[in-house]
Amino acid sequence: MRAIADSQQQPADHPLAGREMSGAEMIVQIIADEGIDVVFGYSGGAILPTYDAVFRFNKDNPGSDGNGALPLIVPANEQGAGFMAAGYSRATGKVGTVMVTSGPGATNMVTPVRDSAADSVPMVLICGQVPSAAIGTDAFQEAPITAVMGSVAKHVFLVTDPTRLEATIRTAYEIARTGRPGPVVVDVPKDVQNWSGTFHGTSRLEIPGYRKRLQRVTDSVLDDADCQSFLQLLSESDRPLIYAGGGVVNGNASAAMRRFAERFGIPVTTTLMGIGASDTTEALSLHMLGMHGMAYANYAVEDCDFLIAAAARFDDRVAGVPQRFAPNARHIAHFDIDPSEIDKVKSVSWHHTGVLDRDLDAIVEYADRVNFAKSFETWHDEVAALKRNHALDYDRESALIQPNAVIEAINAITEGEAIISTGVGQHQMWAAQYFDFREPRLWLTSGSMGTMGFGVPAAVGAQFGRPDKLVIDIDGDASIRMNLGELETVTTYGLPVKIVVLNNFGDGMVRQWQKLYYKGRLSASDKSLHRKDFVRAAKADGFEYAVRLDDKAKLEQTIAEFVGFEGPAFLEVIIDPDASVYPMVGPGQSYSEMITGDFIASRGSDDDKDVSQTESF
Amino acid sequence: MRHVISVLMQNEVGALTRLTGLFSTRGYNIESLNVAPTEDPLISRLTLVTSGSDAALAQIAKQLNKLVDVVDMHDMTLGDHFERELALLKLVVRNTRTLSEWCVSHGAAVLDDSAKSFTVEYAGGTADVDQFVAAIGRHGEVIVLVRSGSLGISRGERVLAGEVRALPVEGQAGM
Repeated sequence: MRAIADSQQQPADHPLAGREMSGAEMIVQIIADEGIDVVFGYSGGAILPTYDAVFRFNKDNPGSDGNGALPLIVPANEQGAGFMAAGYSRATGKVGTVMVTSGPGATNMVTPVRDSAADSVPMVLICGQVPSAAIGTDAFQEAPITAVMGSVAKHVFLVTDPTRLEATIRTAYEIARTGRPGPVVVDVPKDVQNWSGTFHGTSRLEIPGYRKRLQRVTDSVLDDADCQSFLQLLSESDRPLIYAGGGVVNGNASAAMRRFAERFGIPVTTTLMGIGASDTTEALSLHMLGMHGMAYANYAVEDCDFLIAAAARFDDRVAGVPQRFAPNARHIAHFDIDPSEIDKVKSVSWHHTGVLDRDLDAIVEYADRVNFAKSFETWHDEVAALKRNHALDYDRESALIQPNAVIEAINAITEGEAIISTGVGQHQMWAAQYFDFREPRLWLTSGSMGTMGFGVPAAVGAQFGRPDKLVIDIDGDASIRMNLGELETVTTYGLPVKIVVLNNFGDGMVRQWQKLYYKGRLSASDKSLHRKDFVRAAKADGFEYAVRLDDKAKLEQTIAEFVGFEGPAFLEVIIDPDASVYPMVGPGQSYSEMITGDFIASRGSDDDKDVSQTESF
Repeated sequence: MRHVISVLMQNEVGALTRLTGLFSTRGYNIESLNVAPTEDPLISRLTLVTSGSDAALAQIAKQLNKLVDVVDMHDMTLGDHFERELALLKLVVRNTRTLSEWCVSHGAAVLDDSAKSFTVEYAGGTADVDQFVAAIGRHGEVIVLVRSGSLGISRGERVLAGEVRALPVEGQAGM
């Protein structure tokens, strides 16, 4: 499926066309028609008609396991439902679907909606709303959802005319998954859910501007002259580098990008969101770049003379100083599906707005046709040397358990095939650095928004979407607290999710910055006096395997037991509280100012670099 | 540089909020904004005046085009165009008779000529309105000034997609 193509258009004649249905029944029918096999949400007064319709739908459509074709998964808090849907969507590429009630139910979804918009994740949120006649009266559980969500979602609808409900829900899915994907919110007053009318089966809203602009992008194919001008830049280059962003994963273009990279022999580095776009175990994969990217990836960015940005957006965690990013690149090429990303942060010499997999394939096809050949062997040797000389490393001799070692031990078992979700902070960066990823859609993380509490619910949603996969949440003690209620959701549904808490008794990344930029004043980031017993908490929530690991000697054996446990498993690891994330490019600094710590070889001395001189943000 | 942007937008709940919200969240300024229905009841036309560098304006245009409700948009300032603004003024004046004559000779219409609420209507380019307001201020005390903000239309045949619907074309049925 291409993200842009509206590939799931309804057949001309829906088997239920012409049938009399309630608004609630129409909503449920369209969700099922969209190929969605699980809905996440929390009930309440204003959404009751639709929850009742789901119940009746599942009674009539028991599904293969008899539990209903559209199971409704209930979180502890609506935010959990939102991140479950995001995890489901990120892991499968389908549109994560959430159904919540009005007022607090809907406002609890603001964070996941913004998170999904910022990471371009398709989602449809159906909110109950107070009855039409009560809107604007400050009714019980009323909140102005179109206004609140309007500034964070890709689009918002309030259904004021029940005859447009069916077309609106179908159009919401279309908008969510086409173009640059994102979350679409549909606010449905209770009387609209209770209304009855004739089901049309294929109706869609008129959105002429959106569809016209989408068509323009779909029609924008690379012709021979475009391919030639790109290859001209490549032929002038000795050190080309692909910088692949989240759009490669979201646009299902990983396979095309790998073909492209292999055809020309171009090394690939990915953003945090692009992890898995290339197979990180490959020789020409440089894994992640950026603020906490691999030293060798960042050096390669410094060295490259032609940077090819594939669905990446020069975010401040990658290009802290845009004008000093890739300083030796004589040319930059930029592919994106969103015209607004071109020249937004960094102006480029060659760009194309279009559908990535098709465009990359077009260049490969043209290159084959004209027998394009250019060897980058010297560059490959340099890349290999960078990887060898500036490899990740950490304090292997310490008596304390290092977080890096925990992830290495898990990775030795999972070998780049497991789905990994995370919270936000140091553990997120260690996981990004030390895990291998052979495929896209295995790495689920809140990249742009950086939402703590993402890990557990995202793992739940991913497990529903990919029951065949091992799903592991790598979390921090502070991040997991944010949505700790969802531990119970894991056991309620008997999901074999594995949860690791790397406990350093505080907000580790905040402390790392406070040590660097605030003379070590640990304002509100230390949790060493907190009395939380995570293992007992997990046991209380029904985890039969819940273990604390604080003995380095037992690391490998415990990890093997934990990963191999059949069913939900929880592991708290007491890690070195002073472990820091390296390499680090300070905020507002360029890659030449990167510090690599005591265990990763730097090109210069860290002592020459003043990481504190920065516009910290 | 000052830019006059014309936008056709679907009449959806919250559409205007999303458009103005885009300007505030992305740090752009709106100098004036005018909204009114078109002949198509489903579509409104906005004229907004903003200012910024060419790069900023290019981003504004691209971001506006990302709004689902936006049918089409055009930066009038990129080509030849006309701009008009309507001003309504209320003044306290000494001699209504002389001022009435002065107004008519300056192309303004007098709506009410009582001494306590002498009310005038004037339309013209933004600079013309500025000059008129300054000039009439020498004849009396302006106590209320209502300005519509600029309206723009491009010179020649260019129209925005969606505008065509309102213009029946001979020999073509069912536009």
